[in-house]
Amino acid sequence: MSFLTVLALGIAVLVVAPYLAHRLRRRRADERPFAPARLVPPTPPKARRRSRLEDRTLFAIRAASIVALALLGASPLVRCSRLALSRGGASVAVAIVLDDSMSMRAKDGGDKSRFARAKKGAEEVLASLREGDAAAIVLAGAPARVGLAATTDISAARAALEGVMESDRATDLEGALAIARTLVGELPQIDRRIILLSDLADGNPDGPPLGEGGDGRVPLWLAMPELAKGGGADCGILSADRAGNRTRVRFACSSPSAAEGREVQIKDGEKVVGSAPLPQTALGEAIVTITADDTRELFATLTGTDAIASDDRALVVVESGPAALAVVGDRTDDELMTGGAPVVEQALAALQIDMAVRPIPQAPDRREDTQPFAAMIADDPPGFTPEQRHALAAFVDRGGVLVLALGRRAAAAPLGATFEPFLKNAVSWGPTPSQGADPSSGSPIIGEGAASLGDLAPKGRATLAPDDVNAFEPVLKWTDGAPLVARLARGRGEVWVTTLPFSVESSDFPLRPGFLSLLDAIVTSAKERSAPVRGDVGAPWAFAGARRVEVEGPLGRMTPARDDGVLRIVPTLIGPYRLTVDGVEELRVAAPPAREIDLRPRAVVPSATSSSLGGGVSVVDVSWAIALALLALVAAEIVVRSLTRPRREPA
Amino acid sequence: MGPYSSLRILTPRGAVEAKRPAKGVRRAIDWGSLAPLRIRARMVAEGVWAGAHRSARKGAGVEFGGHRAYTPGDDLRHLDVRSLLRHDHLLVRQFETETDRALRLVVDASASMGYRGSRAPGAKLAWAALVAAALARVAVKSGDPIGLSFIAGSKDALGVPVRGGREVFERIVDALEGQSAEGDAMKDIAVLDEAVGAIARSARRGSVVVILSDLLDLPPQAPQRIGAISTRGCVVVVVQTLDPDEADFPFKETVRLKSLEGDVVVETDEAARDRYLAALAAEQRRWREELVARGAKFLTMTTDRDPVAAVRAIVEATL
Repeated sequence: MSFLTVLALGIAVLVVAPYLAHRLRRRRADERPFAPARLVPPTPPKARRRSRLEDRTLFAIRAASIVALALLGASPLVRCSRLALSRGGASVAVAIVLDDSMSMRAKDGGDKSRFARAKKGAEEVLASLREGDAAAIVLAGAPARVGLAATTDISAARAALEGVMESDRATDLEGALAIARTLVGELPQIDRRIILLSDLADGNPDGPPLGEGGDGRVPLWLAMPELAKGGGADCGILSADRAGNRTRVRFACSSPSAAEGREVQIKDGEKVVGSAPLPQTALGEAIVTITADDTRELFATLTGTDAIASDDRALVVVESGPAALAVVGDRTDDELMTGGAPVVEQALAALQIDMAVRPIPQAPDRREDTQPFAAMIADDPPGFTPEQRHALAAFVDRGGVLVLALGRRAAAAPLGATFEPFLKNAVSWGPTPSQGADPSSGSPIIGEGAASLGDLAPKGRATLAPDDVNAFEPVLKWTDGAPLVARLARGRGEVWVTTLPFSVESSDFPLRPGFLSLLDAIVTSAKERSAPVRGDVGAPWAFAGARRVEVEGPLGRMTPARDDGVLRIVPTLIGPYRLTVDGVEELRVAAPPAREIDLRPRAVVPSATSSSLGGGVSVVDVSWAIALALLALVAAEIVVRSLTRPRREPA
Repeated sequence: MGPYSSLRILTPRGAVEAKRPAKGVRRAIDWGSLAPLRIRARMVAEGVWAGAHRSARKGAGVEFGGHRAYTPGDDLRHLDVRSLLRHDHLLVRQFETETDRALRLVVDASASMGYRGSRAPGAKLAWAALVAAALARVAVKSGDPIGLSFIAGSKDALGVPVRGGREVFERIVDALEGQSAEGDAMKDIAVLDEAVGAIARSARRGSVVVILSDLLDLPPQAPQRIGAISTRGCVVVVVQTLDPDEADFPFKETVRLKSLEGDVVVETDEAARDRYLAALAAEQRRWREELVARGAKFLTMTTDRDPVAAVRAIVEATL
């Protein structure tokens, strides 16, 4: 026991001083002469009671003042359990990886969610930083993103941390750690660390330990391992689709036992219109027969309680599959050459796109026929009839992607068949002076695949009129500068043009890896522009070409962000989003990814839990807080004394 | 003398040392705004009806006062024989007598009369002295003889025997100014008897006795002793003189109240107000019943009352 401790205890003993003073002080009222005093009845109980009450308040304040004084003297001895870095004398650069995924909503039986505890831990880490230290914040909800680039302005870091909210995103710990390494890896501080505040439940419990494969320059510290020990059971609704009077509810559970005793109910408001027991499986579906009106808004809910409540309820939507991709072309020619599906369809199959590929013999000539499609690839089309042009223009305007692979037929379009309004002039076909594409002219969206397109052995190529060339944005050029691939934004959609058809008979173009890159870019663009009713939470919705987008999310109105001239919304919460895109209303649903419901933690490298990086106990100087409390107590005593002082009767 | 405790004065006959009275020997009256007594009393008396009053007492006298029906026991010498012979009516002749009605002033100078509350213009004794002086002034104007006696008070201050003439007013004022509030009338009935007993023995029928006292610290027999004066044919008016604080008990906070006579100390607060006022009213009721039963008058006044109105009310009570 040090001298300071003894001194502090000695001061604390003084707490009895005001008690003794109050006991010894006989509070007597002012004595006054009063002739008829013998007629006045004594009322001591009330007077004494009031006196006791006044004394009690004053006594409490004075005793608290003494205790505060003792604490003030002993404040260097006060130890609070707070997260803090263990450090030497040098400045430190830390990247705080805060997991804001849905699994962090679990409360593990306490009042605070894992996210709230992790955020508090991040605040404590920031509080332990000193001048000259640098901090960065990375959010591990998918997609992993930078919350704050590295800065030595700790107050800015606190402000940025304050703005981080819970979400229903999936978890992307690996991405977040990679970003964190990038943020602090090149900072001048010698001591650089990544502080991971996560439950490690990224849906990949059998994956390699986190932190493995790093170069060792930026060690990983799992600051709050208790977050990963919560366990817990959870079931969540992945989708609820209705077809007629049947509702198909897909669900996922952290373990099959988590589904035990639970059932799924379809509710119209508070009224249950159908229910079915939940099969005891980690991933499955339940079919619920309902009798509700088609026009009513229904919600699927899970009975019982689990670790995460937000995924126990989902809007029931009319069943719809993912958007499809149409390939317009004459299958007979290609089948003859390849002996199977046309080469473009095979290429799309090789890409394993999450879209159905539907070959159609000719372009649709009715607008409603274009509805199922997000993209349409027209291979060597012989122009379009007016009806087709009208339907395709509407298709592109609403967000579709149209690909025109111009070939020999394009130059021999029948009378009345043109490519308007996408190409205003006729297309010609002829020998090509160039044998391949110039890789250096390739747009980043083609990427390294452009290098494979240097020799295409073309038997000819389509030539666009100069006006049309100028109207399109070149994506890839022939070596003579003519466009090989170009694109044009129109409405909310895009029109892509290639001056070679997708036929191996005309060139080697569809056989090159660059062709796959091109198709991948087209499909990505189509996915971004398509409007599936349900999408993963956290995946952005892009509204290319839209001028005005209004979004009403689960927590109210959201403001779209403009990125590269395109309005985007990131649904961070599960639930329905009602959109108005240029006056047209849409309903979209953000659904949780199944892997996020798996609450099993992933392993971390053993060094991440080393106490040499930091710990949960630290000496914290709380003198300022105690001094403020002492001042407040003194002020309170003055107020109490002024309020309880007896009013002086004028003599 | 100012701040000096002693003063040597050189006179043709030698040095004389004047000493200040020791503290506590004498408690002067807190006159407040009621001083100077002589001038204030004259002013008050000017405001009061100061004409000669005729005795309302009918009986032996020289001036015929009318008839009334005979009642057994009447003096047969006053029987109107002519009326009996002419009208066969038994009537008694009445006569008015113009008397000099001596005014006997009794002022309570016990310690409790030295109290002055927050709203009073002066101590109770000061107010009582002013009223007594004003009554004396009124009586002097009427030519009535006046006497003054004290209940308790300073032993150095003596009363004034019943005298007529203008100089008696000056003597009464001097006696009142020389008085101080001290003594305890509660302990010893002799203190009351000393003032009231002499009046009871010596006052002639028709004399007016005005007693100014707070009646708070008098012995329990006091109402009977005072009422006895009335039964001897005197007009007795008892004026209970209270401070406004005593009349309405204004205390809000907890206070320790110490009586000025006796050793009563009470710790109380505003919660006692109703019970105090009830006790005071009961005390006043007891006094009133005792006095009125013996033909005396009982008035209650507070020292914030206009002295002119007070004197007028007392004068009217004596008629």
